[in-house]
Amino acid sequence: MNVEKFSYDNQIVKLFTIATVIWGIVGMTVGVLIAFQIYLPWLNFDLQYTTFGRIRPLHTNAVIFAFVGNGIFAGVYYSLQRLTKSRMFSDLLSKINFWGWQLMIVAVAVTYVLGITTSKEYAEAEWPIDIMIAIIWVAFGINMIGTILKRREKHMYVAIWFYIATFITVAVLHIVNSIEIPVSLTKSYPIYAGVQDALVQWWYGHNAVAFFLTTPYLGLMYYYLPKAVNRPIYSYRLSILHFWSLIFIYIWAGPHHLLYSALPDWAQSLGTVFSLMLIAPSWGGMLNGLLTIRGAWDRVRDNPVLKFYVVAITAYGMATFEGPMLSLKNVNALAHFTDWIPAHVHVGTLGWNGLLTFGMLYWLVPKIWNTNLFSKKLATAHFWIATLGLVVWVVPMYWAGLTQSLMWKEFTPLGILQYPNFLETVLQIVPMYVIRSIGGSLYLVGAIVMVYNLFKTAQQGSFVANEAAEAPALIKENNDKFNSHRWLEKRPIQFALLATVAILIGGIVEFIPTFLIKSNIPTIESVKPYSPLELEGRDIYIRESCNSCHSQMVRPFRSETERYGEYSKAGEFVYDHPHLWGSKRTGPDLHRVGGKFSNMWHYLHMQNPRQMSPGSIMPSYPWLLEQKLNTELTLNKINVMRMLGVPYADGYENQAVADLQVQAEGIADDLLNSGIVVESDKEIVALIAYLQRLGTDIKVKPAENK
Amino acid sequence: MLEANDLCNYYAIDETPGISKRDSIIRNFDFLEDPELIQKLIEFSDGNITNITFDIPQMHCSSCVWILENLYKFDPGVIHSEVNFLNKTLSVKFREKETTIKKIVEQLDSLGYLPNLSLDTNRDDKLKNEFKRLYYKIGIAGFSFGNVMLLSFPEYLSYTDLVTAEFQNIFNWISLGLSLPVFLYSASEYYISAFKGLKKKIVNIDVPITLGIFVLFFRSLYEMFIGGGVGYLDSMTALVFLLLTGKVFQNKTYDAMNFERNYKSYFPIAVTIKKDGKETTIPVDKLEVGQRIVVKNNELIPADAILISEKANIDYSFVTGESQPVEVFNGEMIFAGGKEIGQAIEVETVKEVSQSYLTQLWNSSAFNKKHESKIETTVTFVSKYFTFIILAIAISAFIYWVNTDVNLAFNAFTAVLIIACPCALALSTPFTLGNSQRIFGRNKFYVKNTSVVEKLAEITSIVFDKTGTITETLGSKIEFIGEKLSKDEQNLIKALVLNSSHPLSLKIASLLSFNKKLNIENYSEETGKGISGIINGKNILVGSRKFVSNKNIEENDISTNVYVSIDNKELGYFRITNIYRTGLKEIVSSLIKKYKLFVLSGDNEGERENLLNYFEKEKSLFFNQSPHDKLNFINDLQNKNEKVLMIGDGLNDAGALVKSDVGISIAEDINNFSPACDGIMDAKSFKNIKEFIRFSITSKKIIIISFIISFMYNIIGISFAVQGTLSPVISAVLMPISSISIVVFTTISTNFMAKKRGLL
Amino acid sequence: MSAILVLIGFSLFVALVFLGAYIWAVKSGQYDDKYTPSVRMLFDDNKIESEKDKHKNT
Repeated sequence: MNVEKFSYDNQIVKLFTIATVIWGIVGMTVGVLIAFQIYLPWLNFDLQYTTFGRIRPLHTNAVIFAFVGNGIFAGVYYSLQRLTKSRMFSDLLSKINFWGWQLMIVAVAVTYVLGITTSKEYAEAEWPIDIMIAIIWVAFGINMIGTILKRREKHMYVAIWFYIATFITVAVLHIVNSIEIPVSLTKSYPIYAGVQDALVQWWYGHNAVAFFLTTPYLGLMYYYLPKAVNRPIYSYRLSILHFWSLIFIYIWAGPHHLLYSALPDWAQSLGTVFSLMLIAPSWGGMLNGLLTIRGAWDRVRDNPVLKFYVVAITAYGMATFEGPMLSLKNVNALAHFTDWIPAHVHVGTLGWNGLLTFGMLYWLVPKIWNTNLFSKKLATAHFWIATLGLVVWVVPMYWAGLTQSLMWKEFTPLGILQYPNFLETVLQIVPMYVIRSIGGSLYLVGAIVMVYNLFKTAQQGSFVANEAAEAPALIKENNDKFNSHRWLEKRPIQFALLATVAILIGGIVEFIPTFLIKSNIPTIESVKPYSPLELEGRDIYIRESCNSCHSQMVRPFRSETERYGEYSKAGEFVYDHPHLWGSKRTGPDLHRVGGKFSNMWHYLHMQNPRQMSPGSIMPSYPWLLEQKLNTELTLNKINVMRMLGVPYADGYENQAVADLQVQAEGIADDLLNSGIVVESDKEIVALIAYLQRLGTDIKVKPAENK
Repeated sequence: MLEANDLCNYYAIDETPGISKRDSIIRNFDFLEDPELIQKLIEFSDGNITNITFDIPQMHCSSCVWILENLYKFDPGVIHSEVNFLNKTLSVKFREKETTIKKIVEQLDSLGYLPNLSLDTNRDDKLKNEFKRLYYKIGIAGFSFGNVMLLSFPEYLSYTDLVTAEFQNIFNWISLGLSLPVFLYSASEYYISAFKGLKKKIVNIDVPITLGIFVLFFRSLYEMFIGGGVGYLDSMTALVFLLLTGKVFQNKTYDAMNFERNYKSYFPIAVTIKKDGKETTIPVDKLEVGQRIVVKNNELIPADAILISEKANIDYSFVTGESQPVEVFNGEMIFAGGKEIGQAIEVETVKEVSQSYLTQLWNSSAFNKKHESKIETTVTFVSKYFTFIILAIAISAFIYWVNTDVNLAFNAFTAVLIIACPCALALSTPFTLGNSQRIFGRNKFYVKNTSVVEKLAEITSIVFDKTGTITETLGSKIEFIGEKLSKDEQNLIKALVLNSSHPLSLKIASLLSFNKKLNIENYSEETGKGISGIINGKNILVGSRKFVSNKNIEENDISTNVYVSIDNKELGYFRITNIYRTGLKEIVSSLIKKYKLFVLSGDNEGERENLLNYFEKEKSLFFNQSPHDKLNFINDLQNKNEKVLMIGDGLNDAGALVKSDVGISIAEDINNFSPACDGIMDAKSFKNIKEFIRFSITSKKIIIISFIISFMYNIIGISFAVQGTLSPVISAVLMPISSISIVVFTTISTNFMAKKRGLL
Repeated sequence: MSAILVLIGFSLFVALVFLGAYIWAVKSGQYDDKYTPSVRMLFDDNKIESEKDKHKNT
């Protein structure tokens, strides 16, 4: 008798499902909050913990890692067990995965609010949390691979391949992107600098989109869609072809985020070409999904789950077409740094990730609670509200992006900027921000309706924590003709894993530092390291996430050089650990801000931006004027920077604080001359020092206009 | 059964589940206990666990898949059962100690999924491994191509900002590493094929391909490591990858069909023999001369034998082509392959299975020699010239430049060989023909491989088998010629013929109506003449004209006219004629203009007049053709330089089908046995024969046009090459563009033409 | 710019791992049947026969 009786772990699916829903609401609520904050600056409450800069990464991380992340786990844990006809490899690992992940999210939330951040987009968590993520992710991977190894269904359905790809690639991405040297328990610097850091960051960033937001969801689509419509996937052959072609070359896309930046031309073009190639495998997935419903479109009418899936897959197609278009240089020149980019992002996230997750939850919850959905009507209502919310979110942002970009680029017939005042372009699009916040609110309302519906469903159902099942075990035959391979074949996974870990560690430890420290960036002689005060000021800039709204990358367009000054050169960023090029201009670019405004201007501006720029939507930062600058870590910072290749003189760290104080007093004196009394040990002084330094290394006359 | 095993889900899974058991015959599977037979049927056994794969053509839906994979619930000895739905097979793994093949087959039978057991153990493992190798090669080629291409772009795109030498060097090394497996492994079959061709003094298309790959690779090595440039590795890997996609596309197979069947598939694998008065079943292989076999209704006689029972009705239509069942009497010979219609009979074998008249056909030279069709494929034809012309151009370029600049001369020489891309040539054929093959498939005409499509365009003569090919397999038409019979008269006649088991009697009975049971007196049956009896005082005669009315007939005695008289009044006769397939007249009239048409029949001359209505020429109709006769006929035609298309259906056509340049088997049900052939056509598609042939000709034209297009690309490329100005960019651009445009062109034009002709 | 070599290195490494996985998959017969798995995954192996009124679509 080799029919084995076992049970599927539904308890873990239940836990992840609940987490998905809760964090979804949290993440979306924060999203709505920041959407309102952006045109109602008083919603920052003048508190450092609630300021837009610190809250925004809370939103991005919550929706990506907490909402989508838990959604992935819920979906994977349910489907993987059934596709492999086996219970999860280790219940303990399942629990570690779950509780560890939630703990990580809480840690992230707490640290961001406290200003503990690395500034790297979608990887803002500082190094202790990075390590925690790595451990939990490995636990997930072991659990998943273990389950696959003890499977009772020989064929590995295509969804499983997508899950594996997700695991392996995200692991590599996370590790490579997070290589940083700690300064303290809550602060670190990445080993990459400037252009290199930007490249790595966006290699990670785009591939995070690819392997966290796309591949796992494609895997989920290949499972949950056929199940919901009760038909096999349109072309299984196509899904196999689609998977392998995607995986062989997907990992190159990073450069398309850095077009017109200081990245070398050829690297940028490579990113463009490659991004265009991605349309094919992406659309393969979309077509496969939609065509699965052919002949059953009438079911979409009655079934809210299918409605969600159809729009989700369509949104995926749209986003994966728009993406490559945005990577074309001429399109990118228009769109980059504007609200067009968030619009693109939200088509993908609200559309593909959000709607697919909702559809999956509406199918999954009744399943594991052994009942029917409480209200199909409410689910359908949610569908319409969500879709409407999506449209109302996205459309104004396209409008805003285009409007603002065109305004930035407009010249008068005399050849000067039509809108030299950046703020003017912002105020023009505030109405769009208002509409967008309504869209976001709608989307949240829909989600709240879902919570109610799912809760009532669970209430009326009876949950079975362990679902009984049985299946014959797979028996390995002894018909290998090549016996020499068998010894190797018996231990492939262990070997592979060990080898991977070994190579990674080995590579990282030996290989990378030497490689990177000898930078190939053409150095500009006049570029010098930051002074200790400026370094501290830079860290305050990072702490307050100024880079969320301000870029530091002047592109080689006349409209930019006229507005900001000389375009940014790769060599200017050699000591920037991390780079702060930014990806959005809610406010103006700051790379050449050094020397443009007086210290007093900066002081008053930070105290309350509306003092210097009426109508400004920037939050106020009054605590910078009160809080004392913490110089306890300055010594460490200098040492770490030197380790990373910044040419501070040996022993300079002992000198650093003294130098810092001298420079600070200079600024305080200057402020006093302008009538502002401030002690030299306040944080604002450091920040001013940093801002005044920006872009001054190359000796070019700053432009007259702002 | 389902409920007992908690498998009622069967009905929930699909919308049209269920198999209706066609018959309630209790079959005997004892022969499945024979160890030798078991060895032939199984795939693998280690004494503990056994693997066997069953053909189950009845599976048609997801419920079938579900229940067959839940077989272990019926039989705990089954470890695992896996369905391959497209192949319609079920692979079963079981423990020998807990269950047997016999038990499993019995279970499958009771569920309605009786497997098709045959000794034709044509395991496609070799084919499967070949496919696997192709997939390895294309996977490696695709992977390398993708990554090498991306590594090459920096050089191409850096018009403003040159890649530093250090990077370029590293990229070169990585590209080389990635290209090596492609050069050494993925492309290997082209080298082997070119080499084999050259050994036979043939220049096939793989020769210029190999030349191109080699020059690309070595010149790249030179450029990268001595010249400090980029090389052409991206073009090389792209070339190999594109060529392999052509191969993959071309290798479409119809998994559930078998084009290689021989008589073993048709014959049963077991027979019931009588030994010491008891009936047992033994494997057909074990049948010896002199054994007594019991053959039941619809069963096959597996070897030439003598009839022991009194009478038998044997249907030979499949094996010899005779359309009417034949009455056989005690002591007469029955040939292997015939089917008994009616009561069970007992026969005694006089030959072994493999020595029987029909199966001897398979020993003939036609089957043993691999028939090399004289039809040369277009691509082989062109590649001859292509290679020489290219070499000529290359050498001329070299000579031209050698006095001015030796480097340039080498440059130009290798450049010509690189850019003269045979890939477009090599892709035209597989994609055009592959697409045509698929279009045929959608019209239920399944060809074995793409070369059949091309050969079809070359034929000059078409030979038709009669029974089952141009006539419908399911019987003949019967009609009464004479004054309409009254109900009473029908009743009387039917009452009489019901007493006879003669096949013609059965046919007549099926036509007449019947409502009263009547008493018959003085019933008598005279062999070869007729039957007679008295019913209700009336004397009824049914039989040949002479028997019924004592008249001699002038015309040829067509034995399938059955005359009737009641009380000596001749009422008329029943005429039994073949039902010809619909549209035959149109088909013939459209084909006769271009092709020589022939009909070969195993029947007697009886149908000649009828056939002449369709095929006008007397000289093209041949009757009483044995399977060997048919084979020889084809041979004779080919000796006269005709290219022959043979269309047949039965085993009697097997020899002819193999010998012809193109052999097509017609089938009413494509899941049933068809003899070895180049293509299987569903009977419903027979009327499209002309369109299929015409489409093949069109496909050829499309191939030629695509050749012309590829020549244009070559001219452009060569013009750069001879000047020595070929750069990797141009090569990298021209090759994929030309390849992809050819593929797009051939696909669109075949689809377009198919739509136009109503084939799509 | 040497970061790009690091990135290419890791990317190629991951891609090579997957090439290996692909070859394993073809070798072990994962793709011998490119159709039936899509049907097989639809089967629910839990016995829901007892709840006759429960349908598969929500």
